[in-house]
Amino acid sequence: MQAKSRTMSLTLRVVLFVAVTVIACLTLVASLINSSIEHHFMQQDSGELKVISKSVAAVLLQHHNSKNELVKALSKAVAGHHGVYYQVNTAQGQLIYKSSTRDFTEQIMQSPTSPEFNSDNIVKWQTGIYSYRAVVSDVKTQQQLYKISAVIDMSFHLQFLKQFKQSLWAIMLGSGVLILLVAWFAIHQGLNPLRGLSREMHDIQTNKMDVRLADKNIPVELINMVHSFNSMLDRLQDEFLRLSNFSSDIAHELRTPLTNIITQNQVGLSRPRALVEYQELLFSNLEELERLTKMISDMLWLAKTQNGLIKPQQQVLNNHSEIAALFEYFDALAEDENITFVQQGENLDFYCDKLHFRQLLSNLLSNAIRYTPQGCSITLKSKNTANGQICICISNPGEKIANEHLPYLFDRFYRADKSRKRHSDGAGLGLAIVKALVKANGGEIAVTSNDNETSFKLYFALAKTQHHIKH
Amino acid sequence: MRLLVVEDEIKTGDYLKQGLSEAGFQVSLARNGLDGHHLAMTELFDVIILDVMLPDVSGWRILQSLREANNYTPVLFLSARDSVDDRVKGLELGADDYLIKPFAFSEVLARVRTLIRRGGGQTIENTLKISDLEMDIPKRKVQRAGKRILLSNKEFSLLELLLRREGEVLPRSLIASQVWDMNFDSDTNVIDVAIRRLRGKVDDDYAIKLIHTVRGMGYKLEADIDAS
Repeated sequence: MQAKSRTMSLTLRVVLFVAVTVIACLTLVASLINSSIEHHFMQQDSGELKVISKSVAAVLLQHHNSKNELVKALSKAVAGHHGVYYQVNTAQGQLIYKSSTRDFTEQIMQSPTSPEFNSDNIVKWQTGIYSYRAVVSDVKTQQQLYKISAVIDMSFHLQFLKQFKQSLWAIMLGSGVLILLVAWFAIHQGLNPLRGLSREMHDIQTNKMDVRLADKNIPVELINMVHSFNSMLDRLQDEFLRLSNFSSDIAHELRTPLTNIITQNQVGLSRPRALVEYQELLFSNLEELERLTKMISDMLWLAKTQNGLIKPQQQVLNNHSEIAALFEYFDALAEDENITFVQQGENLDFYCDKLHFRQLLSNLLSNAIRYTPQGCSITLKSKNTANGQICICISNPGEKIANEHLPYLFDRFYRADKSRKRHSDGAGLGLAIVKALVKANGGEIAVTSNDNETSFKLYFALAKTQHHIKH
Repeated sequence: MRLLVVEDEIKTGDYLKQGLSEAGFQVSLARNGLDGHHLAMTELFDVIILDVMLPDVSGWRILQSLREANNYTPVLFLSARDSVDDRVKGLELGADDYLIKPFAFSEVLARVRTLIRRGGGQTIENTLKISDLEMDIPKRKVQRAGKRILLSNKEFSLLELLLRREGEVLPRSLIASQVWDMNFDSDTNVIDVAIRRLRGKVDDDYAIKLIHTVRGMGYKLEADIDAS
């Protein structure tokens, strides 16, 4: 059903809608006109029938000496009406008088009657090709009960109505078709700017992604679409650039250790050496290979998170005990560097995968230790945000990270300092992994940096019930 | 201790066999699933190391036959595919452990030893001793040559781990997991720093060094390094 409506052309759809509406409206108008004309005739006839019935009744109620005199009087009862007949019968059906050659006795006897003229009793009679409108009423004189009938020949009316209906339908049909044609033309014209846009879009290629759709001469309704499309292109171009950079970064990151391995092996094999030197060579190879392995598994892991294949097992964690565990882990390292850890803030429970949380905090802490000057301290401050989240802020003093680098800090292989030497620990994937872990657990991460310190803020959903009393 | 290695990749198989033999195990190597299946079903081993992806009979199949025959030899799976489904499938079929390629050899060794120990049902001793180093676990006291050594909690746990697995090379990831409950590969040199500090307290002032670095693999505790 849905597929069908998707494949139906826009023009056809609109024209169909217009057609249905136009047919409905025109039919309504036509039937209204038709019925009001019929009603008008009916009113007119009813008036005539009343006049005739009254006149005949008046004649009947007069005193007549003989039947002949009565008939004579009746023949003069109505004058100046065209196509109008009347007939008088006794209650038993005996014909007293009829104004024309046609005899309606049979119909009279079957029709409803009432003592006075009653418009509800107006009936239609059909004899052969003729149609009549008639009313029968009872008149009681001193001697006898009569049924008088007034009859109007409707053939003229019907003829007129028939012709009128024909021309009415012809006009309706003509105007209907005209409206549809105009609608089709209007839609076709209306879609012209879309065809233009489509041509423009068709010309956009990956090697000229800076092309944007012009919003001049575009109807108001399409302006939004043009803007959305342009901003989509902006995002795509951005991602595309990141991806291109990423591939060249990968190549670079792989080439460096491989070059090291190849060079040291070639040099090592160039002449006989002492056993210790070979051991040294093997060890050095191992180091480079382990680095490559770690990088590959980190990249695979990141690819998995991007495809939604990492399913965190969320549980309730306590910030104080988790942070304390991490501090304990890094204790020796920090003491070595003469750096202290400080934990501040509320004691809160929140949702996260324990392994993930420890891994991401470990990455952030080792990052912080790397950039903190000796003798300074790293501060972890937790607080309850207003919207049901815990905010854990990891701040370390150190050099400011320039603003232009901040948005890319979580990119794979991104390095604020391009010329920086490769660190022995990690290939620039640490923060990308942190972000992926946070996202997988439904959290958020932000980074700010000023002249004094750099802060990473982590946000996770607070647990619904807090087991710890807040101080 | 007899091990069976079923691995079709020639280099991996050779080096596993060599490494495990040099670590003191008797190793049988099967290069395809059919031979592996036959050996596993007919002979007795302490641990079986099984590659999942074999060209003829898959590792899953071999494990299934074993368990159906009520053979509960511990099985360590090796796999190049790291998906949760695979892991779950392996464990459901009755595998005892699971390692993803590429793995560190020291990791294989540590896991094999763990599996053997698990099967053996070892007794937990309260006092551990090596050379002139003594460790009283319940009292949390450490002495060397009669002199008390003061250790922090984690240093104590670290020394206890090294002592309990005396002579074994412990990879850094295993130490991080057992002592600090950090079950992930870390980029940092936290373990090296911790070991160095422990050495400072336990080894530095004494002629016989107990804690040894095995380059590229990890750390081990051993009294007489020259004999091994």
